[in-house]
Amino acid sequence: MSHIHIPDGVMPIWFVLAGWAATAVILYFCMRRVRDVELGRKIPLIGIVSALMILGMTLDIIPIAYHINMSVIAGIVLGPALGFISIFIVDLIISMFGHGGVTVVGLNTLIVGTEAMLGFYFFRVFLGVFGAGRLSPGMSAALAAVLSLIISTCLMIGVVYISQINPERVLHVHKENPLGKIFSLEPEGENKRHKIEDKRIDIETFAKTVFSLGVFGWILEGVITGFVIRYVSRVRPDLVLSEVT
Amino acid sequence: MDIGIIDYYANSGKSFLHRALPFYKMISIALVLLSIVITSDFIVLLSIYLMLTGLVILTRLPFFKIISIAAYPAIFALLFAISSLNGDWIMPATIVLKALDAALAMVILITTTPYPSVFATLSPFLPRLILEGLYLTYRSLFILLGLMGNLFRALKVRGGFGQRSYIKNVRNFASGIGLLLIRGLDLSERLYGVMQVRGYGGRMADENSERRFTQKDILPLAIGLFIFGVSLGARLEEGFSQYGIYLLLFSIVFILTLAFYFYAPNIIRGVFWKR
Repeated sequence: MSHIHIPDGVMPIWFVLAGWAATAVILYFCMRRVRDVELGRKIPLIGIVSALMILGMTLDIIPIAYHINMSVIAGIVLGPALGFISIFIVDLIISMFGHGGVTVVGLNTLIVGTEAMLGFYFFRVFLGVFGAGRLSPGMSAALAAVLSLIISTCLMIGVVYISQINPERVLHVHKENPLGKIFSLEPEGENKRHKIEDKRIDIETFAKTVFSLGVFGWILEGVITGFVIRYVSRVRPDLVLSEVT
Repeated sequence: MDIGIIDYYANSGKSFLHRALPFYKMISIALVLLSIVITSDFIVLLSIYLMLTGLVILTRLPFFKIISIAAYPAIFALLFAISSLNGDWIMPATIVLKALDAALAMVILITTTPYPSVFATLSPFLPRLILEGLYLTYRSLFILLGLMGNLFRALKVRGGFGQRSYIKNVRNFASGIGLLLIRGLDLSERLYGVMQVRGYGGRMADENSERRFTQKDILPLAIGLFIFGVSLGARLEEGFSQYGIYLLLFSIVFILTLAFYFYAPNIIRGVFWKR
């Protein structure tokens, strides 16, 4: 429930571009960070983890497109930098079959990428807290997933709030501004001839809907992440506790 | 959503859109997306949807399957539309229609163009690490799809998914995903090793695909330009809305003609009945 499934053309252009720019900057730093890492073994791992996420996102648990993300698993297994790159790959591919708008891939990557990055750091912190017990990796991963999902959902609601989405305003034509005739670049621009009512998305209703739907998703994703990491840490501990990339 | 079937459609189709070069198809789809971004006219968006639906008929791919794949984002758009309800149905309907238009445009692209060709067209704009990640993800998807089918069948047969034992089911499902990750990684590493032995250095053979404009690229590009022209007109000209109804009529005639031309002979000859 942490994606932005806002259709193309509803978000203000300036905000969509800002999302792309921020994603590009973070991707640049992520690639710089993994520059010295031996990528021969990491690239197949990026491929398989990204593919797993895509499969997870296309499997509906409840037939209202309610699915698991597995982004925290990506963060734990790949590390924060490669995890973010993997999230970008996933968002790019799923946008090609209409799962999330193409123009909002940048914003989507920021939100789901944050989930993966936070998931990694929370996991390491909890692992330190719980010690080297048998249940420790699973418990740490589950808690990390729930916390990361809560934060990323808040981030998603924050993005909707900051973007000041007012469909009436965004979908409206700014006839006086020659550039605004094509793109509504000014989210707060006043149109003299057309009085635009303040019909913003009701952020309270939006947040209530997202949180009430999200809470089950967080728990479910937390439990699945916990069991997956517990299994992987028993069979291939090197995947879970590898170097930070 | 069956990713395998999308790939099958992209590789097995023989329509004019399948034959057109990915570069020009992507330009055309980009123009359609730009049209969806700039227009807010409900009639224009509805006309675009009908025209895209007509394109689906032209591709000769299973019509309802493609439409249903492209209808997926409407569920999320509905959430957004409900939050913007204020007694007026046009605004929520426009939001849903924008989602449907954009998704259908992308699904048409991806069911008529294999993923590697799309990646190859994007390659000049993407760093090598991301490009390699895209190729490996695409390949890994099919490795995982193969493994997943067998794994979950085996879990069911061995009583891994029992009735009312939810915790056990979730644990088995999650262990299955863990196993998929590990087995998939082994296979993916082996594949990557084989690719490197065969001389793979970060570029695929298809990457240097031809971009010379030919006859088969005219129609996809013309459709994209037409849709963009109409949207731009609707955006710039205040009086355009009075002609919107003609555009809608044109789209309806377009889709009905195509439907009659492509499906009527099958119905008359009884092909559908035989199926």
